[in-house]
Amino acid sequence: MRALLTLLLTGLAAGTAHAARPEEGALGLQPAATRIMERLHFFHGFVMVFLTAVVILVLGLLVWVMVRYNRKSNDEPRRFSHNTLVEVVWTVVPVVILVLIAIPSFPNLYYQDAEPDLDKIAQSGDLDDPNVYPEAAEKGWLTVKAQGNQWNWTYQYPDFVDDAGYAMEFVSNPLHVGLSDDPAHTQDAPRNLAVDYPMVVPANRYIRYQTTASDVIHSWTVPSFGVKTDAIPGKLNQGWFLVEEPGVYYGQCSELCGVNHAFMPIEVRVVPEDQFDRWAETMMEGDYDAAAEIVAEIEPLDEEATRLAAAQ
Amino acid sequence: MPMDEITLDQAGQEHDHKPGFFTRWFFSTNHKDIGTLYLIFALIAGIIGYALSGLIRWELAEPGIGPLTMFVAGEGDAAVEAAKHFYNTVITYHGLIMIFFMVMPALIGGFGNWFVPLMIGAPDMAFPRMNNISFWLTAAAFILLMISMFVPGGSAGNGFGGGWVLYPPLSGLKGHPGPAMDLVILSLHTAGIASILGAINFIVTILNMRAPGMTIHKMPLFAWSMLITAILLLLALPVLAGALTMLLTDRNFGSQFFVPEGGGDPVMFQHLFWFFGHPEVYIMILPAFGIISHIVSTFSRKPIFGYLGMAYAMVAIGFIGFIVWAHHMYTVGMNLDLKAYFVAATMVIAVPTGIKIFSWIATMWGGSIEFKVPMLWAIGFIFLFTIGGVTGVMLANAGIDHILHDTYYVVAHFHYVLSLGAVFGLFAAWYYWFEKMFGVKYNERIGQVHFWLMFVGSNVIFFPQHFLGLHGAPRRYVDMAEGFQMWNAVSSWGYVITLVATAVFFVGLVEAMVRRRKAEANPWGEGATTLEWTLSSPPPFHQFNTLPVVKSEGGH
Amino acid sequence: MAHGEVKHDYHLVNPSPWPLLGSLFVAVLALGFVTYTKGLFGLEPGTMWLMGLGLLGVMYVMFGWWRDVVKESRAGDHTPVVQIGLRYGMILFILSEVMFFVAWFWGFFEFAIFWPERTATWDAANPIYADSLSRFADWPPAGVETFDPFHLPLINTLVLLLSGTTVTWAHHALQHGDRSGARNGLILTVVLGMLFTALQVLEYSHAGFTYDGTLYGSAFYMATGFHGAHVVIGTIFLAVCLIRLMVGGFTPQKHFGFEAAAWYWHFVDVVWLFLFAFVYVVPYLVLG
Ligand code: HEA
Ligand code: HEA
Ligand code: CUA
Ligand SMILES: [Cu+2]
Repeated sequence: MRALLTLLLTGLAAGTAHAARPEEGALGLQPAATRIMERLHFFHGFVMVFLTAVVILVLGLLVWVMVRYNRKSNDEPRRFSHNTLVEVVWTVVPVVILVLIAIPSFPNLYYQDAEPDLDKIAQSGDLDDPNVYPEAAEKGWLTVKAQGNQWNWTYQYPDFVDDAGYAMEFVSNPLHVGLSDDPAHTQDAPRNLAVDYPMVVPANRYIRYQTTASDVIHSWTVPSFGVKTDAIPGKLNQGWFLVEEPGVYYGQCSELCGVNHAFMPIEVRVVPEDQFDRWAETMMEGDYDAAAEIVAEIEPLDEEATRLAAAQ
Repeated sequence: MPMDEITLDQAGQEHDHKPGFFTRWFFSTNHKDIGTLYLIFALIAGIIGYALSGLIRWELAEPGIGPLTMFVAGEGDAAVEAAKHFYNTVITYHGLIMIFFMVMPALIGGFGNWFVPLMIGAPDMAFPRMNNISFWLTAAAFILLMISMFVPGGSAGNGFGGGWVLYPPLSGLKGHPGPAMDLVILSLHTAGIASILGAINFIVTILNMRAPGMTIHKMPLFAWSMLITAILLLLALPVLAGALTMLLTDRNFGSQFFVPEGGGDPVMFQHLFWFFGHPEVYIMILPAFGIISHIVSTFSRKPIFGYLGMAYAMVAIGFIGFIVWAHHMYTVGMNLDLKAYFVAATMVIAVPTGIKIFSWIATMWGGSIEFKVPMLWAIGFIFLFTIGGVTGVMLANAGIDHILHDTYYVVAHFHYVLSLGAVFGLFAAWYYWFEKMFGVKYNERIGQVHFWLMFVGSNVIFFPQHFLGLHGAPRRYVDMAEGFQMWNAVSSWGYVITLVATAVFFVGLVEAMVRRRKAEANPWGEGATTLEWTLSSPPPFHQFNTLPVVKSEGGH
Repeated sequence: MAHGEVKHDYHLVNPSPWPLLGSLFVAVLALGFVTYTKGLFGLEPGTMWLMGLGLLGVMYVMFGWWRDVVKESRAGDHTPVVQIGLRYGMILFILSEVMFFVAWFWGFFEFAIFWPERTATWDAANPIYADSLSRFADWPPAGVETFDPFHLPLINTLVLLLSGTTVTWAHHALQHGDRSGARNGLILTVVLGMLFTALQVLEYSHAGFTYDGTLYGSAFYMATGFHGAHVVIGTIFLAVCLIRLMVGGFTPQKHFGFEAAAWYWHFVDVVWLFLFAFVYVVPYLVLG
């Protein structure tokens, strides 16, 4: 039932899950790649029902009074200016609507904003609950730190430390900056979205992302993940996501940060765990280009299709 | 109140002599003249703000960075680099001008000055000379802002390009070390002082100068809306002034309020800014609410439905407006429970606003509606503001705002409440009071064409921006990714329609001024019951030398 | 323009050059400030004359404007209903000043109270901010020597409280037609105001921190400095009243200028009590 509703309400969203990028002429949200975004799809559709109803009601009433009570149809205006019943109704009904909106809103907020307790999830072992991933929880967190700079992102993987004690870290530069020597726009390197060294994470792992900045405020976001967190100098913000389906996902810096604000895209390549391991190993050896080559082609997961992909 | 119940003393007022041209317009202490000055000022600022929005739409009409390179120095890639910064300055000054120098001066300074004294039966404002410095300080502030566009902002070029919200560190020494940002700060300080003085003037006028018999619960709703607007100004602006002062000393005297290296907190600026900024959005819409009430009542020939509810809904909106500010900051890493609080508080505002929407419709219900030009704008306002309002409710939910924040969904939301809300209210008032203010009639047909072109044009501009925003198109982008092109092109074509609309607006203005059809005291008939309609059009230089006495029971 | 058959008591002010002139000088002052700090229109940073011109102009306009107000008051334009309006106006102005101070307190509290929360999300891995974490992990920050509230600040509190009573004394005396009592009370108030300022300057000169470059200094000086500026303005306001009193400008029935000054003075007084409590005493007691 819930899946059906989601399907119905997100009928506007186009495209497939594993290449989330802006689609020409799209009307709705980008397809969901995480449970967080899937819930937002549902939430958006749910709220839209009420908002549309309110707008149509107001429009309907306006049309009605314009037709029924214009000077031609009704020459003699009535004089009333009070009616307790309708006043109570139009106070109470909006309150009820707002409460209805709040019912999914708060759980949604807490779901995406509070970091899940992986130990508890792993123990629960509940494979039917779409909100938790016990198998992934057993593997624990993978942390990625995204630092915004004018105008690129530095990604750091604190879980991967070399012999000298330094965490794996690299700068992710935009391919396009609006200048004449920009590379061509292709399917693999979409204009203003593609980067040289993307952020890479394994599919079906709990990812904790942290954001910060070295100069001014930036904002790290991937629409199809349903996450956006400001990167503020001096402050370390945190969030989480888990992507089921391998693929390439794009986002763009979302806080005005100066001249090249429009040119510091975010490219996340979500790959199967073993491909990720190979990438990380090569990165640790310092061969960025070879590592980028490894994730250039995204390998499929062993399982046929995941729940999220099926739900699209 | 019915007119025969008002004691009038119009005879012999024709000969009141006006001061000479220079004294009259530069040293004015007359609320109507100052109101006119404000309107002229807002019109000029509006044209500049509107032209800047044209540059935005032109640039975004096609992929790549094109049109703006024509306005900057340099060739080829150098021009492109300069154009990127230029775009940022264009949106910044567009936002600042539209808000501080178009909507506020027009609705508050212009119509507020003109009609608050007339409606409450007062001969002038409480402090006529202070009224004038409010105007001239606003003009001075505008000049400072204009100068700042043409002086160095930072290494990237002239002007400040950090958005109208002025977030540090981008607005600090790190982002914009040049004098442009200092001038922006001082411009807003000056505009702020002007508005605070104006707010004091309105509150005192309304509290102290109502005509005998006009209790606060008989006061016209436009005066109510201005009272609440003024209180919001009085309480919100000084906090902005504080934040701006901290920013100014951070930039010039080495203080560390918003400097992270020194332990300061850039997020604190955002709190202070939005503590002002959210009330500010109601400052811009409440006067329009007041205007719409009068127009709807006038052209339905029916008294306002639920007068007291209407007045206290505005009080409630004003009050709640002060405790919801952080809904602009859901992504800064705020405490989760705090976010939940701001979600709940924000959504509550839909209730009093709904009361207003439905009361307007109930006012029309059973009425005898005449679709004169002001009424068209008013009905357009009610419908379009509702659209903008409900998308605000969507944004209020922090969960989904995490992805909608800083996308075109927000841009669509606030243009529906501002450009299709406050500005529609502004035009409604313009046509409603045109004869009264200028003493000549406008051409009905031209006014209707203006409305319909504007209605279509601005919807074509801003409705597709919802799609862009939902799909992830970020704000303040000089160049969009490929998938966002189609709707951006549509939006830009909408702007072309508003160009025609604006041309028609000016044609109407010129036509009225050339033809000089003589105005009536009350062109709207029995539906127009407030005191300004008892005076000649234009009213005498000094009205109500004998105060009108309000006797009637249920009149508003 | 109040002429003809005007049958109401409101004050219709004559056209006046002050608003236009004043705004002009405000613009000059603003441009002068930016010229002084950053350089503008080809003038070098550090150029003072433009700012000086603006400042002098603004002061000249203020003087002219208020002189007109006093003249109009003498001419009988300030009828009872106009006086009520003036009262409302002054109260509202003070209210806006209160909100202005809210900003400084907001800053101070943010830094003083939310330290644990902020250090918990500090980007300590970044060398730039790791350093500031070690310096700013406490409030007042490490190395900041704060004032002992029970020395100079306490004396200042007493000075201000005393001045609050002397101004009330002057008011009562004025209301009862006791002109010399009013004069003495006012003189004492002005002297106490100046004493406060002098002690504050003394205190500042012993400070173990600066405005420039330190967070505590920024928050401290901004709050107490703006208060100090208000003390100076209030003192001038009272001194002007003293002069007007001496030349016979006030009567027992009509002395709104004096009352406005007194209200303003009480407001300055109350702000100080908040500053004393929350900026001086509480941090001192809490941190031992
Ligand atoms: C005139 C100006 C104006 C007005 C009136 C409003 C009204 C509202 N605004 Fe808007 N807003 C802005 C101007 C305005 N806003 C601006 C300028 C910004 C962006 C600033 C920037 O970042 O640059 C902004 C941004 C903004 C955000 C932040 C978005 C983001 O940056 O992520 C949010 C979030 O909560 C929000 C919410 C609301 C709400 C809930 C209302 C409510 O008051 C709306 C209430 C009205 C209705 C709901 C419609 C009528 C009601 C009914 C018919 C009753 C029944 C309805 C229901 C039960 C739903 N606004
Ligand atoms: C009242 C406020 C207001 C108004 C009216 C408008 C009007 C318009 N805005 Fe504005 N806009 C803002 C406030 C406003 N805007 C703000 C605050 C921002 C955010 C800035 C930032 O990011 O920092 C913004 C940003 C903004 C953007 C996003 C830029 C970006 O993020 O990159 C865009 C893009 O299309 C846009 C377009 C337009 C257009 C096409 C119009 C109009 O052309 C629509 C048509 C309107 C008119 C034609 C009315 C003209 C009025 C007059 C001529 C005055 C008449 C006066 C009298 C009769 C007295 N605006
Ligand atoms: Cu980085 Cu915008
Ligand atoms: Cu808001």
